[in-house]
Amino acid sequence: MFKISQDFAPPFKLIAPFFILGSLFYLFSSLYIFSFSADNFSFADPKVIAFTHLFLLGFVMMIIFGAMAQLVPVVLEVGHFGVELFYAIWPLLLIGTLLMVFGFLYSSALLPYGGVVVLTSMMIFVGEIFLTIAKVKKLTLVMSSVLISNTFLFFGIIFGLLMALSYAGTISVDISSLLKAHIFAVLGGYISITIMGLSIVLIPMFTLSHSFSLRPLEISISLMSVTVVLAILASFFHLEWLSIISYILATVAMLVYAYLIYIIYKIRPRKENDIYAISLMFSYSSLLVSIIVALLYFMLGKENYLLASMWLLFFGFFGFLITGHIYKIIPFLVWFERFSPLVGKQKIPMLVDMIPQKSSQAQFIFCAIGVIIVAIAILFNSNALIGAGASFLVMGAVAFIRSVLYMINFKN
Amino acid sequence: MAMFTKDEIFQAVSTVVDPEVGFNLVEMGLIYDASSDDEGNVKVTMTLSTRACPLHQMILQWVKEAIEKLPNVKEIDIEVVWEPAWNISMADDNVKKALGA
Repeated sequence: MFKISQDFAPPFKLIAPFFILGSLFYLFSSLYIFSFSADNFSFADPKVIAFTHLFLLGFVMMIIFGAMAQLVPVVLEVGHFGVELFYAIWPLLLIGTLLMVFGFLYSSALLPYGGVVVLTSMMIFVGEIFLTIAKVKKLTLVMSSVLISNTFLFFGIIFGLLMALSYAGTISVDISSLLKAHIFAVLGGYISITIMGLSIVLIPMFTLSHSFSLRPLEISISLMSVTVVLAILASFFHLEWLSIISYILATVAMLVYAYLIYIIYKIRPRKENDIYAISLMFSYSSLLVSIIVALLYFMLGKENYLLASMWLLFFGFFGFLITGHIYKIIPFLVWFERFSPLVGKQKIPMLVDMIPQKSSQAQFIFCAIGVIIVAIAILFNSNALIGAGASFLVMGAVAFIRSVLYMINFKN
Repeated sequence: MAMFTKDEIFQAVSTVVDPEVGFNLVEMGLIYDASSDDEGNVKVTMTLSTRACPLHQMILQWVKEAIEKLPNVKEIDIEVVWEPAWNISMADDNVKKALGA
């Protein structure tokens, strides 16, 4: 008999809290948008900083970490070093996120505590990933992307902690220098490179696309890595010209990556436009519009263009890429745990049967409309439109939570 | 004299369905070859639609269990190969049509 290894599919009870909490944070982030005023929207506003951490730590990082518990062995083709460590990651990330958000909003004294808790959570994650990578004999391009992205995460959170300590007055550092380094290391270095690497495994797996060159991926990961290093150096040494070069390189890296996704999409044999496919289409469209709006910012110099670009990157690109993949990852994990032992013994559902059609479609439609309306609201400084967009997003987020709970509790 | 023909083994394996796409492994074109000897030892050469398939081990288990249902089968040897790499042209027409390929 073959021995069925659980290495490639950790127990669902380990991963479920990441997805449940992540979807709750998606709702909290949507609700939070009601508190924004279009008149005084600014990157320096603590409300905006708190929102960024609520969304990125609570939703994006929480879901990425949970997904990585399952995806790392799939990508690295070895079992985890210590998958049980993930039991410690989500509670720490939860507490750290809340402390940081409340710290930015109400009391900066909370920030060092939040920073240390988030740091601890991420160090456990990064350490586990590094020790798992150490088991790999030969690194492929995608495996290298996991190594590179986690290295950037390591530095990104160190920069973040130093900033948190400085905000609280514990130490004195140049926050403006660290801010750019922190943003580039986490957004460009960790999130973008992780997305680049994993999506090239996952999207062809679900679309059955084959026979495409990985050269664009190599170029985009290399360019993004150089970008992050240059941006960090530019921040520390206050070199504006180097910053501009890093912005250009980051744009080129994302465009080359988007081109590869387009090729994979074009050659896909699986043409059905299910919730996964339409979520990804909206996600990558948001990325392209985000790049265009960012270019307009550099031409016109208006901060609301940069804010709108970031909004489209966060809620449009990251948001829909993550929610789309949730509709693939959760059904697989639940199916693996609950139904795979019954294969050949009784009739069991296919993965597609486990996706709630109505709530997933409702989530897509409401969230897509919400993202577009809020982007327009930011561009035209309209409070009324921010409220309208937030309303759509909240309804979409509720539908998303309903979908997640339906898939988790699915019974034949 | 082989105890089982290639068709008989393919027939047995065709009960194994990929839960993601909803088609069986034979109509997906994932089973490259199958043979048996006169003692009932079976060898299957197959691939998967992606190297990163998280169901890799489980699918091999299902293929083995499906073949074990043949009468008097003895040893089962399943070899997973990556060359030639699978692509949609290897699937049956009904699969291509259903996927829109």
